[in-house]
Amino acid sequence: MSNPQSNIRVALLGCGQIADAHLQEIRKIDCAELVAVCDVHQDLADQAAARFGVPHAFTDMQQMLSESSPDVVHVTTPAHTHCALATQLLEAGVHVYVEKPFTVDVPEAEQVLDVVQRTGKSLCLGHDQLYDPIWLRCRKLVDEGAIGEVTHVESVLGYPLSGQFGRQVTSDPNHWVRQLPGGLFQNTISHPLYRMTEFLSDPQPRVDAHWYASGAATFPTEMVAHLRGKTVTGSLFFSTQIEHQRISRVYGPHGALEVDHDGQTIRSIRQSRLPGAFGKLEMPWRHWREGARNLRRNLWRFMKNDIHYFSGMRTLFELYYRSILDGTPPPIAYDEMLRVTRLMDVMFRHCRVRTGAKRLAALSGASPRVADRKANRVTEPVAMDDVTNERESFR
Amino acid sequence: MSVMVTGATGFLGRRLVRLVREDGVQVRCLVRPSSDVEPLRRTVGETLWSGVEVLSAELMDIDRCRDAMRGCSIVYHVAAGLSGSTSTLFLSSVVPTRRVMRAAAAERVQRFVLVSSLGVYGTRNMRAGSVLDEQSPIDPYPHLRDPYTYSKVMQERAAREIEAETGLPLVIVRPGVIIGPGRGVLSARIGLQLGPLMVRMGGTQQLPYTYVDNCAAAIRQAGLAEGIDGEVYNVIDDDLPSAKGLLRMCRRAGHPVKSVWVPRPLIQPMAGTYDWYHRWSRGQLPGVLTPYRTASIWKPLKYTNKKAKAQLGWQPDISFDEAFRRSLPSSEAVD
Repeated sequence: MSNPQSNIRVALLGCGQIADAHLQEIRKIDCAELVAVCDVHQDLADQAAARFGVPHAFTDMQQMLSESSPDVVHVTTPAHTHCALATQLLEAGVHVYVEKPFTVDVPEAEQVLDVVQRTGKSLCLGHDQLYDPIWLRCRKLVDEGAIGEVTHVESVLGYPLSGQFGRQVTSDPNHWVRQLPGGLFQNTISHPLYRMTEFLSDPQPRVDAHWYASGAATFPTEMVAHLRGKTVTGSLFFSTQIEHQRISRVYGPHGALEVDHDGQTIRSIRQSRLPGAFGKLEMPWRHWREGARNLRRNLWRFMKNDIHYFSGMRTLFELYYRSILDGTPPPIAYDEMLRVTRLMDVMFRHCRVRTGAKRLAALSGASPRVADRKANRVTEPVAMDDVTNERESFR
Repeated sequence: MSVMVTGATGFLGRRLVRLVREDGVQVRCLVRPSSDVEPLRRTVGETLWSGVEVLSAELMDIDRCRDAMRGCSIVYHVAAGLSGSTSTLFLSSVVPTRRVMRAAAAERVQRFVLVSSLGVYGTRNMRAGSVLDEQSPIDPYPHLRDPYTYSKVMQERAAREIEAETGLPLVIVRPGVIIGPGRGVLSARIGLQLGPLMVRMGGTQQLPYTYVDNCAAAIRQAGLAEGIDGEVYNVIDDDLPSAKGLLRMCRRAGHPVKSVWVPRPLIQPMAGTYDWYHRWSRGQLPGVLTPYRTASIWKPLKYTNKKAKAQLGWQPDISFDEAFRRSLPSSEAVD
């Protein structure tokens, strides 16, 4: 057992937008000491250090490692740099926390996990929404049998591109997000995906996915994906055409639970037990009571200063640091990191295949019906082992 | 002679391009590959458009910047981020400024005009009622201000570093709040905009506003006036109204603004309480209202444009009343 007073020295690499959330949450953790930030741009490193009271700002990672001697480094750089940076950091003898998405593809993920094994250092991936208080409550209700055995999970992510980051991605064809094999989706879809895979334990569920561009967009902006495991299925909907929202629904034989991650509410969906018209009175009554319960719970949390957008992130950091101090495995299993990365690869491949088939049909001048038929030929679910490392530009 | 303008498709940049073209000078506009050039073309007009050359490049690309400014005697650096997180603003303002200035120095540009902001001054430590001019100190703790102001202070600091390092002749223009068609007349200088409601902070404070065409004219002059290398100019219009006066003007013009008033003596205690709660609750509410910020932004100060008038030979030709009329939502003035 480690000394509870031990401090863990934390550094951060990549001072972009998400780095603010990391620095803000790390500062709240008693056993953590922020020792350095690093960015290729000195100005960016300086602003992060000034705003969050970090003593040292670097532009060179090796210099940061040698002068600040961190125990763990958070990697908050663009996704395509994760593999190389995590590898270098692990080789240098530090533990690594990687912001999602883990890597660009499965071969990179495997490479990083090989280095983890070889160096004996640990790595944690930013699946922080699993530790969001409302998701933990949902998990608890499911474990207590509130809906029976889980049969289906639904995950919705509304991601309007009118936001600051969305505007950058839309306006710049060379934006790093557009260069990823899964483009816009690769950078954000892991959140709704790992919320599904938490209940869908099959190592290789069948995947059926489709993406398309909405309106005037010149790259895919909408995605629908279905996962089919042995006993649990999942559906994922990513849209830039709806309001920002993060909604999950977990279904079982005895009802369903709907979790609104932004509203921090949870709602039970269940058939009325009363006959005919009485049921129409019971349902609003039940919704009203649930609304009151959610209000009471959030009011109580507000009084306790417990409503924070990134509180799941803080819990995950804390658990990870504790695992380092205690020498126990990190909170996110390595197999799960690999499984989510693999699922993403499969989804993106499936989408590319479908898009390619439609384009071919259109080019060959086939009638819409023929084109649909041709497209449907490749809409059969793709197995995990079909994945190759092919890429298509989102430019 | 030819000049280069960055941010040429923006609200201020396209007016500047038109003014420079009216002088008969060829203009190269450096625009992002994704920028829409049509609004610039409309503002400049078909007659003058033949002297405008649009080059597409990211400001971070120093080689493309050098190519674009080759042979230019003046560079007007108008491009800057206006909103977003601190890191985003640094990436769109501070870092590119270093690159564009290095490119300008390498191309031996004769004058580099940086468009900064009147917000960079450390007004928190100034006495209420005192005059803010170019001698007033820069904010010593800009990271305690809002992200935009922080990025502008650091942009100027970066510009001064490059100026010292390369000897590039630099002139800095610090406009107040720029108003104009499509932008409206309300700003954070009046108070906090909460949805449709304006929480007016005090009300006697003068609003450091400048109409977009007046501002563009001052910037043009900053490139042309002789013997002003290294100087700084505040750009604000004449006859500026108070916050309370502006809301009254809005009401009289048929555009009433729903507002509640926070008397001046309550602003600091309110900000202090909010800031205490923010820290005590470990950020349960965002730390947007701090005593430092409120003392900086809503302090009643007087503003002067004497230096710009004297040394740039500039006059705000459009009166504030006319600027106000043109900036109202119902105005037919073309954006």
